[in-house]
Amino acid sequence: MTQLSETSKFTEDILAASKEKARQIVEQAEQEHKRLLEEANSTIGREENEILRNAQTAAEGIRRREISEVRHQAKLLEQSEKDKILSSVLDEVKAKLRESTRDQSKYFGHLTKLTEDAIRQLGMDNVIIHLTSEDLKRIDTALFTREVGKHTSPIKLDIAKEPIEASGGVVVASKDGRIRIVNTFEQRFEALEPRMLIEAGRILFSEK
Amino acid sequence: MSGRETVKIIVDAEKEASKMLNDAQAKALEIRKQVDVVVAVEREERLSKARKEAESVVQRAETESKAEAARLKDEAMERTKRSLQKAASSHPTAVKALLEIIMG
Repeated sequence: MTQLSETSKFTEDILAASKEKARQIVEQAEQEHKRLLEEANSTIGREENEILRNAQTAAEGIRRREISEVRHQAKLLEQSEKDKILSSVLDEVKAKLRESTRDQSKYFGHLTKLTEDAIRQLGMDNVIIHLTSEDLKRIDTALFTREVGKHTSPIKLDIAKEPIEASGGVVVASKDGRIRIVNTFEQRFEALEPRMLIEAGRILFSEK
Repeated sequence: MSGRETVKIIVDAEKEASKMLNDAQAKALEIRKQVDVVVAVEREERLSKARKEAESVVQRAETESKAEAARLKDEAMERTKRSLQKAASSHPTAVKALLEIIMG
């Protein structure tokens, strides 16, 4: 081999090696470029998903708030209207109770029954019956004590002269006045109000 | 060919080889620099699109929720109205029942 061809072969080798090295450098950079793009793509994808997920959560929150608010308002309105109706029923019951004392024959029966119940609760054989001023004026006390006496054990009944403050009903007391059974309309109304509210609610608002 | 000429040929080849490598390094550097730019542009475009979509999701939810709330309100009002009409018709029955409770 001549000196020229040896030199030429040597330089070709140098250039070929450099060319290969240069190719590798660029290829490595391109692969890195590709890898970084893929990583970035994945990261951006996660960020996109997070933005959309947060929006979905916010949207669900908005929907829940709106629905919850309207349901709450509707419930309040319904309850308020029901309360008005219940109050109106109770008011009418009070009015009817007051009116009931005007129908002498009916009221006399109720008063007798209320008195008998109170006597039974008291469980004494000597009692004093307290009536309202209206009842004291209009009721034949002799007839009244006779009627009451029919349905109670033989006991001594006295009608007090001092009237009670009530729209109707009776107070039955022991002879010494220490024990009293209050069976006035007002007391019965107060004591029975919880039961009446349940009953009224059942009649007025049950789904059946 | 003289020894001097031979050395020159080899030196020239090495210069060319060195230039090839430098060019490759420069190209690699350029490729790496491009990544940041490409990623930044891509990121901005896609996240901007996602933010717009998110905004649209929230706006749609607001609109749909308001419509749904209005529909529920109407239904509730109608239900309450029916319930109150029924209650009004049962009013006398309730009064009678309560009077019976009071009167024992």
